[in-house]
Amino acid sequence: MDTTLPDASGSSRADMDAALEANTAVTAPRAGVLVKVEEAPKFDLDTYIANYTGRTRYDRLYLIGTCSPLLSTDALKAAIAEARSSKDVSRYERAVRALAEVAPNDPDASLDAAWVQETTRYVQTQTERLEHELRGYKNNLIKESIRMGHEDLGNHHYETGDLAAASKAYSRMRDYCTTPNHITSMLFKMVNVATERGDWMSVQSNVHRLRNSQSKPDDAAKNLSKITAASALSQMHQGSYLEAANSFLSIPPDLGDNYNEVITPNDVAVYGGLCALASMDRDDLQKNVLDSQTFRNFLELEPHIRRAIAFFCNFKFRQCLDILEAYRPDYLLDIHLQRHIPQLYKRIRTKSIEQYMIPFSRVTLDSMAKIFAPTIVGGEAHPTDISSPFVQELVGLIQDGVLNARIDLEKGLLVSNQIDLRAEVQRTTLESLREFNEEAHWRILHAAVLEAGLEVKPEKGEGSGLGKAGRFPRGSGRD
Amino acid sequence: MTLLSDIISASAHLHNSNHLPSDEYDRRIRELVEYFRRLQSTKALDSFASDGTFLSNFDPVIDSIPYLFVLRVQIQKAQEINTNVLPADLRPSGKLWTCAAHFLTNFDGVQVRYAGREWRLLVELVGQASQAASMASRLFFQSYSGSIANLTLLQPLLGAKLVRDAMLRLDPSCAVFTSSHLLLVRLCLQAKAYSCALPVLDKQIFHFPISQGRAFSGPSALCADHASSVSFMTEASGVSSKLSYRDYLQYFLYGGMVYMALKEWRNALHFLGIVISAPSTNPVSLIMVEAYKKWVLVGLLEKGKLCSPPSITTPHVVKVYQSLARPYIILAHAFEHGDLKRLDAEIDAGKGVWCADNNFGLVSQVVGAFFSQTVIKLGKTFAALTVADLSKQVFPSPVCADVTRSAVSSLIISRALNATLVQTKDHAESSMLRFSSIHSLPRLSYESDLQSQLKQEMRIMEALVINLGETNNNLGLSDEYVDSLHKGQVWSGSNEVNPIVGGEAGLEMDEDLMGDMS
Repeated sequence: MDTTLPDASGSSRADMDAALEANTAVTAPRAGVLVKVEEAPKFDLDTYIANYTGRTRYDRLYLIGTCSPLLSTDALKAAIAEARSSKDVSRYERAVRALAEVAPNDPDASLDAAWVQETTRYVQTQTERLEHELRGYKNNLIKESIRMGHEDLGNHHYETGDLAAASKAYSRMRDYCTTPNHITSMLFKMVNVATERGDWMSVQSNVHRLRNSQSKPDDAAKNLSKITAASALSQMHQGSYLEAANSFLSIPPDLGDNYNEVITPNDVAVYGGLCALASMDRDDLQKNVLDSQTFRNFLELEPHIRRAIAFFCNFKFRQCLDILEAYRPDYLLDIHLQRHIPQLYKRIRTKSIEQYMIPFSRVTLDSMAKIFAPTIVGGEAHPTDISSPFVQELVGLIQDGVLNARIDLEKGLLVSNQIDLRAEVQRTTLESLREFNEEAHWRILHAAVLEAGLEVKPEKGEGSGLGKAGRFPRGSGRD
Repeated sequence: MTLLSDIISASAHLHNSNHLPSDEYDRRIRELVEYFRRLQSTKALDSFASDGTFLSNFDPVIDSIPYLFVLRVQIQKAQEINTNVLPADLRPSGKLWTCAAHFLTNFDGVQVRYAGREWRLLVELVGQASQAASMASRLFFQSYSGSIANLTLLQPLLGAKLVRDAMLRLDPSCAVFTSSHLLLVRLCLQAKAYSCALPVLDKQIFHFPISQGRAFSGPSALCADHASSVSFMTEASGVSSKLSYRDYLQYFLYGGMVYMALKEWRNALHFLGIVISAPSTNPVSLIMVEAYKKWVLVGLLEKGKLCSPPSITTPHVVKVYQSLARPYIILAHAFEHGDLKRLDAEIDAGKGVWCADNNFGLVSQVVGAFFSQTVIKLGKTFAALTVADLSKQVFPSPVCADVTRSAVSSLIISRALNATLVQTKDHAESSMLRFSSIHSLPRLSYESDLQSQLKQEMRIMEALVINLGETNNNLGLSDEYVDSLHKGQVWSGSNEVNPIVGGEAGLEMDEDLMGDMS
């Protein structure tokens, strides 16, 4: 069966892509500033990590180990075990170094030099062997063998942590794919590599190719959940939370445990719920999230998210924010959420203040502070003074145009602005009339000046004149 | 004395001629002007030149032309005798000055249209005389203290008033730019009598005197009732001296300065906008650059932001402005940024520049405008706050509460800020500033005020529409337009209508046919 690629491209194109990816690759999850999470998270480390398979296990363990002082030893030890069971030497070394910082006396905190040496040698011979085999296949010109050769090499690089080489190898497979299945499996591998590298643009483009691939309807339906999940994840990482929320909400419930190397159904519920909370208003939340038949299956896994959204929809912002606050440490220890939590929480908070204000024409600052800043109410003498952080937050929101209200510091009120339509119309009419008149006069005069031949032009044989007007030395003195 | 009776009988032709058809009147008045020009060239009038009582034979209201010519001759004679352009008789309170003033306040507008050149020379002389008088007295009183300065300002004011009244008498719409416009604003600026120029400045200028050949020369005579003054204020009439681009640029710049002095920022911006957007073949006049500098500052005062030049300004001119008015633009950015410290620093740093450009007065007003803009902006965030809190928001360094309070109350009194100051009961706390919302405005006065403003804008718009038609008409009859119409027709072939010109090409078709036949 003869198939073409979704986007037909020559071998040179594939190489170029790979080179480009190598350049733009960012190892974002690990390169960012370290977040320290002092509070104890609510999850149990063992059961948490048991949900995942593949290389993400190590990444997650390592992140928890470096970010949470409480769990660091356990998590890093598990990470070391994870790394030793694979063939990735650099990961092992990194985990041991991290452990040596937190628990220098631990037996695992010193490098097992023999293992490192042995594994390195093994990896090297294996690479050489696979490359040799691939050359042999290429000489024989059998497409399928070449494809498998590339795939083996890619898998090998992926396992040993050489992600750039892995994605290069996978992208070279493209020219030798003969069936739609080959293409989808190759693209999924590329998505996985790109996800781990944090290269979300590449995830997005590969997801796009996956959507356009001409596989059989059965296969397409089976892959749809994974494709949507990958796309949603990349949208979230690019900061477009509304699109991400819609993608998460549209993930079919048959995702199950199929995609545990990247995302679990619990993650879908949490990510989707938070993105939706941060980007949708109350009606949309009720309609698209709580009443959604498909997303209900995910939400049942994380009931507190469901409760938070329900509270938000019922105007109980304090309870909603409390739940989110309680789970903040958990989310900060999540490999994908960590970078977005501050932004997401800020948006949710802003949105709840905005929604809170809608039904009122005036609200006392005290009652607002009780809901949105309970710690300030308890801790400070004048919770509604101009210098209090809560009032400053409101000031910021008003100046950004989020809140259409004004603060009355005498009576301690937040007064919503009521626009007097009549006065507004009068004002804008007068203003536009004036602007029109001015502009029209300018233009008429402009025409009159041109007609009278009085435009500013260089004058022959003129010195500096009165000192008022002189020739400006620009371009050629054409008259 | 026969000459006198000749003159009287000649001018008597015009008396009671209101019932005459306008072409007959036109013919008679042309004859009369011709007669006087002839008398003038043959020096026949010289015999009356020194006769002070001779002028009293004429009433400028009905005998404007004889009065004007005789006055001219008398002034010339006085100039010759004293070998001085401005003899003492012509100075304010002099004999000739009184006659000139009498004429300029009473002349007949229609008659003078025929003697535009003589009228202009008289107006210019009056202007020069009052200016020179103030110069002389300034020199004379130099040793005295400043209180005399008021006296020296009075004399240009005398001249300015005369020039203004004469201009309005000749052309009540003042829609055509003449050299007298420039003379008037210059006199007013010198006299510091800014509101004196307003009756003329407030009339919008739409036209420039056009040469006779291009003027749309209908059958109507000069004396007829013209819808627009552009048809009798032509280049040939001599009402205006030969104009250059500098004249009108200066006029609008000076006019803008008059408005600035009166703190009518919006009008000032409009005038400066005219100068900034003046069409240019390539070079940029320094007057325009000067105007742009003022434009930036006035824009800050009126709108609180850096205004971009009018959309019709050519791009290369804008670039020149931006490079030549760099300090002003930086100042405007500091203002927009809302940082008082930076603004102060910028003003300090550019002190030399402001002084050299004579813009220091405007710059010092910018600081005050900054305060009011910030307070008004705070009114959008707060409904009420204490003055102490306010000063914390506005000033980076602590300021005495009384300073802020007095500044705020002066803002409220000047109606720049719609708010009330409330004294709280316990005097320990600082007083409360409450911004009013739009609701609590005194509705009735506000509405009637608005209505009158709308009406005024409507009047302006009506004038604009009329003059737009006029301009359109003039442009349609200009050589350039006919040329391009012709070209367009040649290009597009005989049976296609030029898409640019559209249906109006019908008129041109006839001419072409004629061309073929001849």
